[in-house]
Amino acid sequence: MSSDIILNLGLAFAFISLAIYISNKLKFSSIPFLILTGILVGPHAPEIFGFSTAVVQRTESIDLLSRLGVLLMLFYLGLEFSAGKLAAAGLSLFKGGTVYVGLNFLRGLAFGWIVFQGWAEAFVVAGITGISSSAIITKLLVDLKRTANPETEFILGIMVFEDVFLAVYLSVMSSLLSGGGDVEALEIIPGIALIIVFILLVIVLGRRIGALVEPRLPVKPAETFVVIVFTMLLLTAVLVETIHIAEAIGALLLGLVLAETVHSKRVIQFITPMRDLFGAVFFFSFGLEIDYRLFGDAVYIAVGAVLMTVAGNVITGLLASWIAGYNSKRGFNVAFTIIARGEFAIITASLAASAGVNSTLPAFAALYVLILAFISPVLAKNSRNIHQAYIKLIQLITKTGVSEG
Amino acid sequence: MSTIKEAELPGLGKKFEVSLDNGDRVVIVIHDEGTREVYHFPEGEDDALSSVTMTDQEARQVGSIISGSFYQPRLLEKLETAVADLRIEWLEVKENSRVAGKSIGDLGLRKNHGIIVIAVIEDKLRGRKGHARINPGPSYIFTPGHTIVAAGIKEKMDLFEDMLQKGHAEEDGS
Repeated sequence: MSSDIILNLGLAFAFISLAIYISNKLKFSSIPFLILTGILVGPHAPEIFGFSTAVVQRTESIDLLSRLGVLLMLFYLGLEFSAGKLAAAGLSLFKGGTVYVGLNFLRGLAFGWIVFQGWAEAFVVAGITGISSSAIITKLLVDLKRTANPETEFILGIMVFEDVFLAVYLSVMSSLLSGGGDVEALEIIPGIALIIVFILLVIVLGRRIGALVEPRLPVKPAETFVVIVFTMLLLTAVLVETIHIAEAIGALLLGLVLAETVHSKRVIQFITPMRDLFGAVFFFSFGLEIDYRLFGDAVYIAVGAVLMTVAGNVITGLLASWIAGYNSKRGFNVAFTIIARGEFAIITASLAASAGVNSTLPAFAALYVLILAFISPVLAKNSRNIHQAYIKLIQLITKTGVSEG
Repeated sequence: MSTIKEAELPGLGKKFEVSLDNGDRVVIVIHDEGTREVYHFPEGEDDALSSVTMTDQEARQVGSIISGSFYQPRLLEKLETAVADLRIEWLEVKENSRVAGKSIGDLGLRKNHGIIVIAVIEDKLRGRKGHARINPGPSYIFTPGHTIVAAGIKEKMDLFEDMLQKGHAEEDGS
């Protein structure tokens, strides 16, 4: 029996490696490839000439690894964040970022409500469609050799801004959904308030809290250090679960605290390979869950959401960069680059699904991320051409306007 | 002098934008994982004309070449490194110098002026490959054509520079 578990795990990792290898060859984000591979070899795999390609089972061990993957990804998100960075970004980013994130979220909320006719679903859809993937976008900027452009500072600033928003959003969502849809406002408001107060506290007092933890972490032997950090991560996850906060949020909060200590760089160094390894299992196992035969309505919803995202993002992106004081050419670069969605859309959908919100959400999120993963690099690459087309269009309109006048 | 602007690229690294005197801009992006990108923006252009990507190791090598550690440009008569008050200079012994024919000990360079001769590069003028003598003893005799690498505080070094160049009149007088 034990050899079967290892066999299953070995097969899973073989496919994960293959997916990541192919995505790197094609210079694509690995997330959609991992999900797709999961769908193709999982329990709901297609049958070709009577042979089923369902070779990987969704076992407890894979579940455990993927759960660790979520913990590590959110822990990393917290670690990467620093209040100092946000403060350094300045007022123009603050204004632009607020407009961008706020409008995107409201747009997602409206779309979700129209499609699902329920506030819980609308809230989840807003999260899935509202938050860009910083991993994909950073990679895109490097690949397109745009890291030196002035608007890149703004794009990456928005990513940081979104991360803060994400921390608050996930906390609120986890307390909203812990009620299982049966939401009593009075019951959850204290919980939400508590988390928001805690996050603000960490952001404001981060250095002080960090100073408490700092001297108690033994640094010298790398072995002790990595073991203790991992233990802290697991214990925090358990601890917050007892006060009805999702374990993922616990990991995020721990990351926020450790980010303000001198150890943050070292922790990031240790955590990054683990996050890559287990994060890949998470996306793969997310695919294992999905039965493409049951896509049905999810296809239309996903296509609709993609159209809404592209259109909405272009408008909010242009608006945000206009507020931040960039010209239209830069604005087009911003608007067409920040369309990619990825890791956080999937994490949100997975958290929502495990809370039992709506069974079509994972399929919708998978399709949505898949479609956008293929569209967004093309849009980003051609942002300059789109801008030129836009200029020509404007000229055409003004010309005809003049000749008519 | 060029102006340098610094900007944080969260999740990516740091950006340095150097505006050169000729109007061009050079943008250097240092990634957190060590990769360096260098972009060249010609004057008035919004888009980079060219770019190179280097690994950490390569960037360090290129950096030290640019800083002149390996080869001193011939156009510059002396290489001047100023650390607070300390100066390290490369100076040539002129044909009619006051010190020509005298030794380091004769002049009492270290005792009287606090100047230390680090090295002497011989035969530079004759086009052969320079033969360097590191840390010459007090018996070394200054010879026209040699290049002296010496360290000392600013005022004393100015004095030493004078000694190596002029002294024509003094020599005639004696």
